[in-house]
Amino acid sequence: MLATVASATLVGVDGRFVTVEVHVSTGVPSFQVVGLPDASCREARDRARAAVVSSGLTWPQTRLTVNLAPSGVRKAGPGLDLPIALGVLAASGQLKLSSLKGLAFVGELGLDGSLRKVPGVLPLVAAISEAGGGAGAGGPGAAPEVVVVPPDCAVEAGLLGRLEVRTSAHLRELVAALEGRGGWPPLPEAAGEPDDPAPPDLADVKGQALGRQALEVAAAGGHHLLLVGPAGAGKTMLATRLPGLLPELSTEEALEVAKIHSAAGLNVASGALCRRPPFRSPHHSASAVSLVGGGGARLRPGEISCAHNGVLFLDELAEFPGSVLDNLRQPLEEGRVVVCRASATVAFPARFMLVAAMNACRCGADGSPGSCRCPPAARARYVGRISGPLLDRFDLRVRVRCPEVDELLGSSVNVASGEPSLVAARRVEGARERARQRGVRCNAELPAVALSEVAPLSAGARRLLERRLREGRLSARGLDRSRRVALTVADLAGDDAPLREEHVLVALALRAPGILGHDAGEGAHWPTGETQRVRATAT
Amino acid sequence: MRDTGEAGDVAGTGDVAGTGDVAGTGDTRDASGMSMRPTWSGTGRTTSLSEMSGLGAPGSGPPLGLPPGAYAAALASLPGVGPGWLAELLANWGPEQAWVRALAGQVAPPRVPAQRGERNAGASGRVSDAARRMDVAGLWQRCLQRGIEVTWFGGQGYPSALASGPAPPGVLFSVGDIGWVERCPVVAVVGTRRCSPEGAATAYELARDLALAGVCVVSGLALGIDGAAHAGALSGFQQAGEVPPAASTVGVAASGVDVVYPRQHAALWRRVASAGAVVSETPPGSPAQPWRFPARNRVIAGLARLVVVVESHTTGGSWHTVDAALRRGVEVAAVPGSVHSPSCAGTNSLLRDGATPVRGAEDVLDALGLCASVGAPQAPPKGAGSPDGLDPIGPVEEKVLVALGWRPLCLEDVVERSGLPVGAVVVALERLEAAGAVVSEEGGWWSRRA
Repeated sequence: MLATVASATLVGVDGRFVTVEVHVSTGVPSFQVVGLPDASCREARDRARAAVVSSGLTWPQTRLTVNLAPSGVRKAGPGLDLPIALGVLAASGQLKLSSLKGLAFVGELGLDGSLRKVPGVLPLVAAISEAGGGAGAGGPGAAPEVVVVPPDCAVEAGLLGRLEVRTSAHLRELVAALEGRGGWPPLPEAAGEPDDPAPPDLADVKGQALGRQALEVAAAGGHHLLLVGPAGAGKTMLATRLPGLLPELSTEEALEVAKIHSAAGLNVASGALCRRPPFRSPHHSASAVSLVGGGGARLRPGEISCAHNGVLFLDELAEFPGSVLDNLRQPLEEGRVVVCRASATVAFPARFMLVAAMNACRCGADGSPGSCRCPPAARARYVGRISGPLLDRFDLRVRVRCPEVDELLGSSVNVASGEPSLVAARRVEGARERARQRGVRCNAELPAVALSEVAPLSAGARRLLERRLREGRLSARGLDRSRRVALTVADLAGDDAPLREEHVLVALALRAPGILGHDAGEGAHWPTGETQRVRATAT
Repeated sequence: MRDTGEAGDVAGTGDVAGTGDVAGTGDTRDASGMSMRPTWSGTGRTTSLSEMSGLGAPGSGPPLGLPPGAYAAALASLPGVGPGWLAELLANWGPEQAWVRALAGQVAPPRVPAQRGERNAGASGRVSDAARRMDVAGLWQRCLQRGIEVTWFGGQGYPSALASGPAPPGVLFSVGDIGWVERCPVVAVVGTRRCSPEGAATAYELARDLALAGVCVVSGLALGIDGAAHAGALSGFQQAGEVPPAASTVGVAASGVDVVYPRQHAALWRRVASAGAVVSETPPGSPAQPWRFPARNRVIAGLARLVVVVESHTTGGSWHTVDAALRRGVEVAAVPGSVHSPSCAGTNSLLRDGATPVRGAEDVLDALGLCASVGAPQAPPKGAGSPDGLDPIGPVEEKVLVALGWRPLCLEDVVERSGLPVGAVVVALERLEAAGAVVSEEGGWWSRRA
């Protein structure tokens, strides 16, 4: 006798619809699971058997074959325990085949028959809802309209809102409900609000006019931000305020984030869909795989994917191994990362804003002229850990200074109390709206060819840029990037095109190319004009 | 003992015991070689002639028919040879005779204490062994190929300033024209490697004006002040088109003259060698060992009539130059700096101790007793006007200037101190820079110009 049960498994951060087929035939009692199960999936045999027996049902003493279709896709994780157990019960006649029609099941079984939480319920439910009638020849006749999940996953499964979600705490109760002998237990109450605490407010930051401006420009334009400064200057403090400035995620974006977090095994939601952009700050001992994603049989999303549509904050950037950091270059360029393993190739979404903080040198005195105790070579070595191409990705590079005593104690009259995040967030929202009218989410995504059209230069700004280019203080690539930043600066100020000298100057100041330029070698400290001339005569 | 400056980087040993006795080499240098002439008795163990691999007997002519410079170079390349002993040897016998005596094992470095006479005898044997293994012809060939000239104490072309001072280098290797130090008054412009941008600019301008005035600038080819001084002198020398009053610059290296250290200065090194000279008492091909830097600094002090310290921390290699200068009776001058700047702390304390203050080339020329008006160019007129034709100094600019003060500040500090919005400050700084009132330096530092 044959029974089929609808379920799903995780591939990367996406679900894949799976049909569990159970065949019972006469022969020597045995139990085979075929269809590329991994170790934790193959162990389902033992869990399912124990759960069935614990629930007061009978395990058939016949030849059992379980096929997980499509059999070409590797199945990982314990989420198929429940469908396998139900398939066995149906195939052995302990459950009516019709009672499984239109239902899909996801869940891990305990040996006592209880249903346990599994990671990635959101993408699994999404895959089941998308499967519809097109599940292929092996699929059940009707598309599932109801999904049954463990109680702990019910809220998460309900986020999608496309399928009816039912739950049950125990296999025995579930069988009773399916047979019509008992009712379905009520769904757990969803908390009304996302339960994450409000992000810290910008009003707590004392002074730091330039840092605030950089943060605002970064939030408005989606520009990657590098904060350089001595220990205790408030780099981390500034960076953690960024999520409070970013606009809320749209439903689609929030679902994307929730799916990734669900697949990564993070706590997704106990209430409504979280619309706040994620903020991830991995420690600098992070391995390359933990950052970009990968792993064993089941490829997990890394930190950069968990920061998708949000902020990836790398504190102490120079302490990250260079080989780990250079893995970020492709995702920064493409907004996704493709992880290839022998078992599978998976593309993880990874469109994040990179915010990094570091000291300018090892002694922490920030390399200010005359005060730093590091020999020049040591300083060059320290900042040399950041590769040029990665450094180039930062549109904003800002020096953060230790606030002065007056600012800290608030005793000075002329230090305005910090502006709260809400005010800045409103300006950011306005700037993002302008970007949307240009057809992009934020200015950092503007293609270079569109710049002359959307960001024309005033005569003064043109003269200024020309001068900088001639002096060799600005490169061609730097020109485009500065122009995008200048456009964001103008957007924030509410100014219309063309870009004025002031906007360009602020952009150039926020991009400070020489902020780590101690390694410039010969002539780094000679008067600029003279150096140029001397070099010219020398060559 | 002060930190050996450049030396720290080379071997990572940090604080190396001053003038010699470096762990690991152990046999190389007289610890007191700078102040005290070592004595050599000349009665070392006599090696029987039969042991001497068929070479000419002592007192006969040159053994291999090479010029004397070749033997001077060979003597300097022997292990365990210090400058004092080398100078004594060369002054007494001349290169050829000294070489023959070294081969014969009749001479030994005197640094081994008297109560360990046996070891001393062993040392003379070691010298003769090393001398026999030495490929003198190959060494000389290398010098010729690379245009390295060899002068020795007591020989022709040896700088007279060094010859008359204490602890002269025995042998000097040079590329370029070492005659500059004879033809022109010589001033050493030295300072820290970790200098501020103003310090580098001061060194650059000072050296340029001195070169234009016909003063030969000597320095150590190091990063920071030294490099800026050489670059400035070269700039002045080229500006003057090499007409007689202008002088070039001479770099004194701690490594061999064909071993560039630090590597960032490869181009500067070449330019100094071609326009002036690069000098070293280290044999060609030898790297810059930590103990060589203080020794190099004594040569700088010995060549100069005046040592100008442009910027110096309270410790560092510049102090070796100052100590050596004082020991030789060479006048020391210093450029005053901000009392807040750590890189000016050393120079300011020198001034307090009575060093001559130097504000520019005129002060140096005054101290040398030269006419101050020679050749020094007029500074280019400042305040050429902002590009947009507006008055460069408006009320906002005035406020920014006040906030800037006389210390290098980064943009963040200027914004914080002036209380102005970021946009206004950057526009004001741009105008002021165009007007020449402020300069921006590598790393985003702004400073005001007098």
